[in-house]
Amino acid sequence: MSEFYISLQLAWHVVVRNWMVYRKDFLANISPTLADPALMMTALGLGLSPFIGQIEGLSYAQYLAPGMVATTALFTAFFECSYGFYVRMTFESVFKAMLTTPIGVREVVIGEFLWVFIRAALMAAGVGLVLAVMGLLANIWSIFIFPFIGGLLAVPCGAIGLLAAAHVRNINQFQSVYSFLIAPIYFLSGVFFPLTDRPILGVLVHLSPFYHGVRLLQMTAWGRGSFGEAAFHVTAIFLFTVVLGLWAFKKIRQRLTI
Amino acid sequence: MPGPSRDIPQSAYQAGNPTIRARGVSKRFGEFVAIEKLDLDVRAGECVGLLGPNGAGKSTFIGCLYGVVERSGGELKVFGHDPTMEPRRIKQRLGVVPQENALDEELTVLENMRIYARFEGLPKQAALSRIEELLIHMSLDHKRDATIRTLSGGMKRRLTFVRALLSDPELLILDEPTTGLDPTVRHLLWEKVLSFRQAGKTTLVTTHYMHEAELLCDRIVILNRGSVVGAGAPRELIAREAPGYVGIFAQDREKVLRTHMRAGWDLFYQGRQCCIRAPQIEDLMSLQRASGTQALQIRPCNLEDVYLKLTGRELDDNE
Repeated sequence: MSEFYISLQLAWHVVVRNWMVYRKDFLANISPTLADPALMMTALGLGLSPFIGQIEGLSYAQYLAPGMVATTALFTAFFECSYGFYVRMTFESVFKAMLTTPIGVREVVIGEFLWVFIRAALMAAGVGLVLAVMGLLANIWSIFIFPFIGGLLAVPCGAIGLLAAAHVRNINQFQSVYSFLIAPIYFLSGVFFPLTDRPILGVLVHLSPFYHGVRLLQMTAWGRGSFGEAAFHVTAIFLFTVVLGLWAFKKIRQRLTI
Repeated sequence: MPGPSRDIPQSAYQAGNPTIRARGVSKRFGEFVAIEKLDLDVRAGECVGLLGPNGAGKSTFIGCLYGVVERSGGELKVFGHDPTMEPRRIKQRLGVVPQENALDEELTVLENMRIYARFEGLPKQAALSRIEELLIHMSLDHKRDATIRTLSGGMKRRLTFVRALLSDPELLILDEPTTGLDPTVRHLLWEKVLSFRQAGKTTLVTTHYMHEAELLCDRIVILNRGSVVGAGAPRELIAREAPGYVGIFAQDREKVLRTHMRAGWDLFYQGRQCCIRAPQIEDLMSLQRASGTQALQIRPCNLEDVYLKLTGRELDDNE
């Protein structure tokens, strides 16, 4: 067996371990990722939509819908890899035992990425179904594409979470990471309002992987956009994945080994 | 990184190469020296005890053995492999009982073990029968479906032993295996460790209990501030470093006792008691007569005396 295959297999065992722990508190674990987008859609989409005119030829609820898929991917990945990983690393000492087995830091990190990819893909599928039932998807086939985009988006977002987990000195410091990094990314990346007339913000948002995911999901849900633009955003997500993923690996290795 | 195998042939390796071979191993954290030029061999089938005060470098050295601590210098081979280069080749043949159990509290006993059997690459059926066998061995089979949260400290520790043994490792590393456990569990675990030794497994154990070290280990290595300050078989170490007998006296008799002591004897304190070490038991008898003082206890010197002497906690007032 090749080294790569063994490594992937061990990383998969980490995914299985996470799943076994996750399902013990399934309802508690799944609630925020489902409830938040549902409430957001109800309050802003259904509640506010009638008071707002058309945006880019769409009702506000339709405009908002794909952003909810992106949001669920962002939050699933970030919280799992920041709080979740930090708790596993410090309070539960999971890796102190895990790293005595054939699993190494590389497999731990790849396992986390696989885990958030799968979780975000499933959540994206779930949110997509709800949006479809609410009649908010112009392109109904998008529900089959959401899981892929959601999963892809989750990996660089998870890497940001791992970087946060490697840097914080205690669990409270995640609050700052959320307030000053994740929340701005979430609120300002075109989920809630179009960035077409905002030259500065419109450029800045390119610096986070989230915006590229949002755009891909919007293009899919609305059934509009060019192949060129899609290719651009996919490439951007891949680049973020590679750069942030390797950086996160390096930092986590420093935390787990000395 | 995967590369061409630098494996020493199994036969040559077992013919006498030590399971662990450390030469001049050092670990520095910035200015702080955790391990200083450590030399240590652990031969196949041997049980070696690593003793030393907290912060002496025991756990750091253990971490070096399977690659979670990257040594700053020196040569280190475990099963003939360098832990920095090929940690997995070592970890496949290694079982570790870490200081913390690190069990998944919300999962059951069986679930925890099945996860680790996967990590170790055991096929499903083989894993189940191996887990069952070890749970019986550790008297935990009735707790198969219990959540870890509901287990006692002793049960969790026994389960951590089960986890370390899943892959039937050749080398066992026990980092303070019985700290905080009641005497019953401690005795059970000692019995198990002795049975591993009988089965030919190599064991490296750290402990703060001298009695435990004396009972389990063929050889003791005492560390202090990252360096070896004493090594040898327990009896040998005692005979060399602290031979003879210790008389324990009430503290207020110190002055009288001191006047009757002879050269070569040691006087030191343990708590509120005054201890005198002399080569022969008769020496202490005559000291009692001469000083008109009855000792509270007279006992042969033990590993604890050696430990306290070598790690510099003994107050040597004999100069």
